[in-house]
Amino acid sequence: MALIQIAEPGQSTTAHHHRLAVGIDLGTTNSLVASVRSGEASTLADAEGQHLLPSVVHYSGKDVLVGSSAQKHMVTDPMNTIVSVKRFMGRGAEDIAADTAHSFYDFSQTQSAVPRIKTRSGDVSAVEVSAEILKTLKRRAFETLGDEIEGAVITVPAYFDDAQRQATKDAARLADIKVLRLLNEPTAAAVAYGLDTGNEGIIAVFDLGGGTFDISVLRLNKGVFEVLATGGDSALGGDDFDYVIAEWIVEQAKIQDFDAPEVKRLIMQHARSAKEALAEYEDVAINIESAGTRWQGVLSRFQLQELLTPLVKKTLMSCRRALRDADVDKEDINEVVMVGGSTRTLLVREMVAEFFECEPLTDIDPDKVVATGAALQADVLVGNKPDDEMLLLDVIPLSLGLETMGGLVEKIIHRNTAIPVAKAQDFTTYKDGQTAMAVHVLQGDRELVTDNRSLARFELRGFPAHVAGAARIRVTFQVDADGLLIVSAREENSGVEASIDVKPSYGLSDAEVESMLRDSIEYAEDDMHSRSLREQQVDADRVIEALDSALAADSDQLLSDDEQSKIMIARQALVDVKGKDSVEDIEQAIKNLEAECEDYVARRMNTNIKNAMQGHSIEEYASDPTSDAEVEES
Amino acid sequence: MSNDILTSNFFELFDLPVSYDVDLTKIQQWYMHLQKQVHPDKFANASDREKSLSMQQTSWLNEAKTTLESPVLRATYLLKLKGLDINLENETTMDAVFLMQQLEMREQLENVKNEADPLTILDGMAKDAKATTQELMNGFSQSYDNEQLDDAREWIRKLQFLQKAKKEINSLIADVEDELMS
Repeated sequence: MALIQIAEPGQSTTAHHHRLAVGIDLGTTNSLVASVRSGEASTLADAEGQHLLPSVVHYSGKDVLVGSSAQKHMVTDPMNTIVSVKRFMGRGAEDIAADTAHSFYDFSQTQSAVPRIKTRSGDVSAVEVSAEILKTLKRRAFETLGDEIEGAVITVPAYFDDAQRQATKDAARLADIKVLRLLNEPTAAAVAYGLDTGNEGIIAVFDLGGGTFDISVLRLNKGVFEVLATGGDSALGGDDFDYVIAEWIVEQAKIQDFDAPEVKRLIMQHARSAKEALAEYEDVAINIESAGTRWQGVLSRFQLQELLTPLVKKTLMSCRRALRDADVDKEDINEVVMVGGSTRTLLVREMVAEFFECEPLTDIDPDKVVATGAALQADVLVGNKPDDEMLLLDVIPLSLGLETMGGLVEKIIHRNTAIPVAKAQDFTTYKDGQTAMAVHVLQGDRELVTDNRSLARFELRGFPAHVAGAARIRVTFQVDADGLLIVSAREENSGVEASIDVKPSYGLSDAEVESMLRDSIEYAEDDMHSRSLREQQVDADRVIEALDSALAADSDQLLSDDEQSKIMIARQALVDVKGKDSVEDIEQAIKNLEAECEDYVARRMNTNIKNAMQGHSIEEYASDPTSDAEVEES
Repeated sequence: MSNDILTSNFFELFDLPVSYDVDLTKIQQWYMHLQKQVHPDKFANASDREKSLSMQQTSWLNEAKTTLESPVLRATYLLKLKGLDINLENETTMDAVFLMQQLEMREQLENVKNEADPLTILDGMAKDAKATTQELMNGFSQSYDNEQLDDAREWIRKLQFLQKAKKEINSLIADVEDELMS
């Protein structure tokens, strides 16, 4: 319970010990983990010195392999070797079936909304596969840093919808990682570049990864990174480049059995190598030798350009929309930052430079920049830099809406609205005595329900019966800083909180996550107990430390003697139980102390804001007389 | 300043006089400054109570900024402070001349894609819409200052038309540009 630290810089009442936190880039093709060590953020290598962990998981039936050891099975055992699993995160069976480039896995038919891939080790969901990658990175962090991490910032494409974000959080939960924040990849990249160069002004981050494309327009000012607009395509990336090249090879070599998984994997690998080689050479020879087909051919840079131009053009269209949404012109952009391995493709760099009319920045390794930025943010969030001014303000990438009559969507929160954000919407009943209603929440920017993504269906129950139209049910949609939706509802006339049954359209239900956690062999019972005990003790220490520094700062002004003594009694109760081995007792004591502090916390937060407002003189905010006359956009 | 920022009015929150004319630069600066106090990232390790308070306060701050920056929402908010709570969805002007102008503009928009150079026409329309918006804003400002709230309300109705028109013009420009590129 870190009560706000109002202490002046240098007057901090407690010495902070360094807390371990990491940034994780959970990528379509490769994943990385980075951490701030001795003030420098850098990515962590495995025992062989490799920083990039290929996002490949192999299920052999006996064990689970992750990374390059799994990659070795890609061609020989494609059905049990899962690649690009990020594409399936938060997706339903029909989305996956439509993704022809990647859908050759064998999906099992289940009751759950979440599709599961059949493997020799049983059926696995995308969340579980991702959790394996996260566990591997967590282990790498433990081995490199020498202790357990306290939390992680995990990056997601800015264009990820609620279901995809939730799936990412579920994967972290399965891997037993505390998520400090889900951070948008382009924002993370901007942090890495912004802090590196001290740039101010407006920058565009062009992020083309293996499976997703993101464009974000940010304003940098005195350590604040404010996302003005974001756009992109959550199903467009380097994999698609490979796929069009593969199709070209298939056509040239007259390959018949491209749909066979082994053949597809092989051709895709050739396509990828050819693409990479053409970043350096004018043309590249391709030799295919597989089941009955022998073919030799040459792919030139010019041909590659012809193949890829339509795809790159698609990214530029998103760029223009993002600029318009941000209400800035191309000339206003000070820098363009390139992120993601696919920006190594020359054509991409050329077309981006031509579009923005400036040379894009490529000096930080495009594969590492996202993890590096995430590590910097993790270091701040975990509390290692209490005086740090850095702040990241983000937006919601896709509008949130509700289904209305006729299969139309009514938008509640528009895309590119700054988050966190809350919007309330009133509903009424259409039948006498009605005590329940269904609400369908969608995400997307199209008119029709069928063109948007279904996030969840809510059933509101238990509000009092009225005549038709008399009930007033206020549903509040709250989007948090991670871009995740929280819904609450109450009947305004009676004040009754309506209960909400959430049926996520694609995500795992809480029960499913729980059962996966139980099944996980890493959760042997003893292990579980000692882990939770340790967590509670760490929590208890943190609560006490934060309370003490808060009390030292302002207990005289904000607390009566009576209140203060009640808090001290609750504090002592926590001190008494925290050395013992009852998880429940410590948990309860923390809860009691927090309950006792509730008003104090609220008072401190308000005082803090008031101080912030009074601390500024008029001179500091000398007004700009021209701005009054400007016509603003809404 | 009220004791709780969740009940303070938006102008107070941004240290502004209650007026239709606002200093957008100052709004931006105060926004950044207040965000540094309330944003959930400042409470990543805090108790659930603090996290939820911080999320509410930041949402409130975001709503305040959106309201103050938008010509229509700011105007509506000013009337609300005067006790006139209007629902924008039910507001529509009856001014025949104005409606006729809007109708003509709609027709022009519908046919613009068939023109030889739609982008130039659309850019011109965007400019006109901007100028009209400014006139309407001046109108609202005067009526509001003179306490003529019914007149002020009428200006809001018209402003709302212009906001929608601007949005449509912009999305048409985007469509045309996309077609040109592909």
